[in-house]
Amino acid sequence: MSSQDMNTPRPAAPPQWTRFPFPETLIRYSALLGVLVFLAWSVHFLNLDLQRVLGAFPRLGAILADRYFPPELGFILDQRFLMSVLNTIQMSILGGAFGVLLAIPLAWFASHNVTLHRWIFYPFGRLSIMGCRAIHETIWTILFVTVIGFGMFAGVLALTMFCIGFAGKLFSDEIEAIDMKPVEALRSTGAGPLQVFVFGVLPQVKIAFVGISIYTWDVAFRAATVVGFFGGGGMGWYLQRATYELQSTRVAAILLTIIALVSISEVVSGWLRQRLAGERLA
Amino acid sequence: MPVLEVRDLRVRYNNTGPEILRGLDFSVEASDFCAVIGPSGAGKSTLIRCINRLVEPSGGSITLFGEDMLALNARDLRRMRRRIGMIFQEFNLVNRMSVMDNVLSGRLGYTGSLRSVFRLFPREDVEKALELLARVGLSDHVNKRADALSGGQRQRVGIARALMQQPDLLLLDEPTSALDPKISRDVMSLIRDLAREFDVPVLCNIHDVQLATEFCNRIIGLQDGIKKFDGPTETMQKANMEEIYAMEVL
Repeated sequence: MSSQDMNTPRPAAPPQWTRFPFPETLIRYSALLGVLVFLAWSVHFLNLDLQRVLGAFPRLGAILADRYFPPELGFILDQRFLMSVLNTIQMSILGGAFGVLLAIPLAWFASHNVTLHRWIFYPFGRLSIMGCRAIHETIWTILFVTVIGFGMFAGVLALTMFCIGFAGKLFSDEIEAIDMKPVEALRSTGAGPLQVFVFGVLPQVKIAFVGISIYTWDVAFRAATVVGFFGGGGMGWYLQRATYELQSTRVAAILLTIIALVSISEVVSGWLRQRLAGERLA
Repeated sequence: MPVLEVRDLRVRYNNTGPEILRGLDFSVEASDFCAVIGPSGAGKSTLIRCINRLVEPSGGSITLFGEDMLALNARDLRRMRRRIGMIFQEFNLVNRMSVMDNVLSGRLGYTGSLRSVFRLFPREDVEKALELLARVGLSDHVNKRADALSGGQRQRVGIARALMQQPDLLLLDEPTSALDPKISRDVMSLIRDLAREFDVPVLCNIHDVQLATEFCNRIIGLQDGIKKFDGPTETMQKANMEEIYAMEVL
């Protein structure tokens, strides 16, 4: 070994490395095994009989063919039923619009990064949105029908609550993901919280908000078909009556209408949102 | 009397964390173009954000235009911030907004809430914005979206926005580090000229010592939250420099 080698600092011993470090790997795989065992146990607990599962589909087919076929397509053209379909569409638009309008300020309050006040407005916004989400739209309908009686008004209120929860959550997620640098700059000019929201936040989330609003309407429309079942107005009422009166072929016709309308709403909302996505990248 | 007087300024971001600024004293005079230099992590950005309280100091005092900054409530703080223009390392423009709206947003502190919701800025503000955009050489880009501009152009928008406030103090947070050397120099001389023209003192974070000595009349050297040098640019020696950057780990 030359003297020069002595002078250069000796490299440290190469650090030990292994793909499977001892305790961590064991813990990780044990946890995975635990979850799988729990799932297997749950399936076992259900007492699923493979024979019955496999037999369900042919029987479903048989029942559909026997009782629900042919669908009473003439009923679809019934004047009052057509009116109820129109009402359902109106309800979904009203509920969606009110819900989205109320969801915007609530989402602002419920966004940790730009909320008006972290200990007052933030919990208020969060709790409102959470409350709307926690209760299912059918429960909202039952509640409002109890309070203000049967009809579209109860249904619209129920859909509004549903949309606040649905859109509010997505809105506030979007707001919390914005770039905070422009917000900092606006704060430094002496702008107030509302001004920061209008100038710093809204331009960043505007397009996403429109997309979410369309999606909200799409989901609200699907919910609106069910809301009537519980007395909230719209075509759901006819579905309930036909079901209870065991008019299976009529039920089939109504279900086909719902499937057709939901498909149309999905295509429309998908198309609109796709056009927006292009805008968003620009 | 100094415009800005800082005494024993201390900052820590949380109670258990390290102290980022550890007792800084300095003042800025009305005629100063003062540079704050120092290695990364020295606390330059934190220092500049303490002046307008984008970062809350944990101790010490800041006296700006004779007022105790740390005693202001939210409303008075906003009124004070109107008088402090700030220019940022990454421009901090609203990308989806037009150049014009970005510049006009410098007036928000002076504009009523209802007016600003509808973007109804007074006529004289619009004229002032056009004037400033012409002054920074962006007359052709008024209606473009901010993200359609190049880096140097965006920083000019940032400069115009800060000047829209008709500030009595300019804070610059690394205004050139996102730009190439040639444009950095252009931007710095534009800021220097405008600061002279509008007679505004400047406090400027900058890690490029060359630029600092070229454009600033005074230099404050910061290292690990402590002031290591404070004096006119021409008095800074190589030894001072070496002390400031001694801790830098390559």
